[in-house]
Amino acid sequence: MKKGKIKFLTYPLVVLFSGILLAAFVSPTESTETLDNWDIPAKYKEMKNPHAGDKSLDRVGKMLYAKHCKSCHGNVGLGDGPKAASMTAHMIPFNDAKFQAQTDGEIYYQSIIGMDEMPNFEKKIPDEEDRWALINFVRSLK
Amino acid sequence: MKNYILMLLLTVMPFSGIFAQEEEVKDKPVRAPFASGYLIDNQTTMIPIKGTLEFAIQHKFGTIENGKSDFFGIYAPAANIRLALDYVFFKNFQAGIGLSKERMYTDLNAKWTILEQTRENTIPVAVALYGVVAIDGRNESAFGTGKTWHSGEGKTEFDFNFPDRLSYFSQLIIGRKFNHWLSLQTGVSFTHYNLVDPEFDHDKIGLHFNGRINFSPQSSFIFNYDAPLKIQQISEQLEVPPHHQSNVSFGVEIATSTHAFQIYMGNSKGIIPQDIMMWNSNKFSWENLAFGFTITRIWNF
Repeated sequence: MKKGKIKFLTYPLVVLFSGILLAAFVSPTESTETLDNWDIPAKYKEMKNPHAGDKSLDRVGKMLYAKHCKSCHGNVGLGDGPKAASMTAHMIPFNDAKFQAQTDGEIYYQSIIGMDEMPNFEKKIPDEEDRWALINFVRSLK
Repeated sequence: MKNYILMLLLTVMPFSGIFAQEEEVKDKPVRAPFASGYLIDNQTTMIPIKGTLEFAIQHKFGTIENGKSDFFGIYAPAANIRLALDYVFFKNFQAGIGLSKERMYTDLNAKWTILEQTRENTIPVAVALYGVVAIDGRNESAFGTGKTWHSGEGKTEFDFNFPDRLSYFSQLIIGRKFNHWLSLQTGVSFTHYNLVDPEFDHDKIGLHFNGRINFSPQSSFIFNYDAPLKIQQISEQLEVPPHHQSNVSFGVEIATSTHAFQIYMGNSKGIIPQDIMMWNSNKFSWENLAFGFTITRIWNF
């Protein structure tokens, strides 16, 4: 009788564990994330980067990235910083071709104006030149 | 004292006007000379953008002299803590309030960065004024014999009033960011206590020197030296009374987008500047060092 009971429990448990085991190998839903949910105003899309290619700003961009972005976006922008795990949004890696295909103005809007979990940095990085320095750095992470 | 402050403001103000005009020639202020408005227990010339609320936690543990028995001061009862809030009301002007455990101080403070150093050296240094009024909140009985007057005919005790609880600290800070890794500051200050025990002075003049050496994008080595001066000419006593130890501290700062973490060792127990300048009796020596930290968090509105 007892044996039967255990057997009765065994099958569901085996199914459950094998299910969990299999689930571990299934990669999480492929990033549907994307840049589609960004509704970027035309004003930003057409924005020109007045400091594009300005090498003198390299260090500034790097410093700003380390201070403001690294904790979520990770050392090289893969979206794997220490805070990333606790976020609901999935961060697109900066080396993604789709991300890099955007205009500087679009990256400016995403980086400085933000949306949902991506905070607004207008007050934290008030200087226009510094903002472009940061965008130049993000561009370099391809 | 009010007159001194007024005079100082009047002498500096016309200059700030002149520089403001030159500034229009697009010489922008240097990028963040310091990561935070706080530097250990001092202030920097840095004030965040208008509309910023800053919360600061400052803590000093006991001295490390007892070693393992109180784990280098961590378990020691002689800790001091201050919680403070300040807000940037106008560009380069902030005001705030803080509460500290030592002497139950409530301090009201304000800082005004009159000049910001610019990138092209139109203005070579940053200049700030910092003022603190503190209220000693302890019970009357803690105030000792400062209100007793000894004359030839005996002694008279005067009533204890609210102004007796007040102390003032005013400071002129001059700072310069020399390059991307080195920022230094110097300053001069005047401290006044309305009531002190008869054997002490009410006033003290001090010199300040501090700075930061940035060694990675987020981390810096920070240090601070405050020296109260022995000046016989302003002393009320025949000999300048004791309690004239300099405040020396050094540590590491880690800055993030919204926080600054400063972990340091220093030889003064006080946290608010007038208390450090007036009452630090710990000589700078290994056993008088204590661990401490300053953490700030900012919010932008």
